[in-house]
Amino acid sequence: MDVFIAQIINGLSQGSIYVLLVTAFNLMLLVARIIQFAYPQFVVLAMYASWLVLEKSGNVILAALAAIAVSVLLNLLSEPIFRRINNIEKIDINASFVASMGLSMIIVEIMSHSINNGFPVSFPDYWTGENIIDFNYINIGRGELAALLGGIILVALFFYLLYHTHYGRVFRAIAEDRKTAKKVGLPILKSNLLSYLIAGILGGIIAILFSMFLGSASPWLGETVALKVLAVSITAGLGNLTGGLYVGLGLGILESLAIGYFSGSWSDVIAFLLMLVVVLSKPQGLFGAALE
Amino acid sequence: MSDNLLEIKNMELKYGSIRAVKGIDLSLKKGEIVSLIGSNGAGKSSLLKGIMNIEKKSGKVIFKDKDITKLSTEKIVSRGISIIPEGHLIFSSMSVWENLQLGHYQGNNKIDIKNIYEYFPILEERKEQKAGTLSGGEQQMLSIGRALLAGPELILVDEPSLGLAPQVVNNIFKIMKRLNEEGYTILLAEQNVKRSLELADRAYVLKTGEIIKEGSASQMKVKKWMYL
Repeated sequence: MDVFIAQIINGLSQGSIYVLLVTAFNLMLLVARIIQFAYPQFVVLAMYASWLVLEKSGNVILAALAAIAVSVLLNLLSEPIFRRINNIEKIDINASFVASMGLSMIIVEIMSHSINNGFPVSFPDYWTGENIIDFNYINIGRGELAALLGGIILVALFFYLLYHTHYGRVFRAIAEDRKTAKKVGLPILKSNLLSYLIAGILGGIIAILFSMFLGSASPWLGETVALKVLAVSITAGLGNLTGGLYVGLGLGILESLAIGYFSGSWSDVIAFLLMLVVVLSKPQGLFGAALE
Repeated sequence: MSDNLLEIKNMELKYGSIRAVKGIDLSLKKGEIVSLIGSNGAGKSSLLKGIMNIEKKSGKVIFKDKDITKLSTEKIVSRGISIIPEGHLIFSSMSVWENLQLGHYQGNNKIDIKNIYEYFPILEERKEQKAGTLSGGEQQMLSIGRALLAGPELILVDEPSLGLAPQVVNNIFKIMKRLNEEGYTILLAEQNVKRSLELADRAYVLKTGEIIKEGSASQMKVKKWMYL
């Protein structure tokens, strides 16, 4: 029972990270109409930024700010590239996917050549933290708790923004019917830019939580995570924010239980097999795609 | 300072190789209702889309003596022109209140949602309801309400009667009359010639993207058989 509880808590923490990633991914998909495959790479690069600052100064606040700054910068710098593909007149989601894969590969190469000689980096203990709860098999670290609480708070804030603020309403209107939004003069380009900014801030915070949770980062981490984020989004229903929440948490728990009861190396296979079954039986995803 | 609130000079609008609007000149004075009459494909909607920059066009659009030809739709709305698009377009997954709010934040907040509820009490009754569950007529009212909340001086109305029951059309035209009496200038594109001329001060008759006739609505009524 202890193993089960420990793995569920761990899974919820891991799932919170997926939920945050898929939420930002879906936001850009719904508002800017891009499949931003490079987004998890931006997050990993932001993790590297905080690691570099920690190495140089040991200052956790500076490291956290560096993660947010790098993530915001990368997302905003990618906006003009995607604006060339998707502007107010034309939309090409497939081209955005290819462009983001290109960006993703460039970032992997930068990380594997330029930072720590391409070796994975390890975050110091004062960043990841000690176990807060240590009872039999149940060990809850600061990183796990931070990921779980951070996930809950950020998702709650995001949904508040979406349903209770002016820009949230504009986002939802554009997501529902971009053509009508354009006809009635809603600020599409400004909203696109804002979605990149929000994804950037969110990405920085995800980088902090993810590095606290994992305690390490490698140049290839982003690719695996990007595949999972894409799979979660498709399994939930492309662009379905609520669906992403459930499936993201579900994937975290599933992987964690697979690690607990089978073998860590099989966790991805089990998770992807289940998602394959879902997509084959429900091509629009478990909760229905928000985009046609 | 010109008398005209809106002036269009030599507007051309193409869809690929098809010229939907062919060098149209048109003007509207403050407080007028001007009707664009013509059959399907005459270029009425394209002309309105050209004014709002929803579709790319050439020529000039002057509003309140300022050149707005190259402004984005969003900027044009904030300058004081709203469009009520064809097909009562609303955001169906959002509530009535949220749809109205979208208009409210676009403009200068000259009017309040309460004013819209005075025009259309049914919208207040259904403010929490998803807009997609409204009837066609109610959706059209919502579309008008959203456009008004942007605080326009000029309203472009594209085929307001399309697909609506006669009784509902009566209400919509009554509302437009009232809006005009309250100072709004209206450019109306409508296939229903009779209804349109009853409401308008002046009219332009369009055929295959060109103006073939213009004059006061009363003159047009006499010869309306010519254009039906």
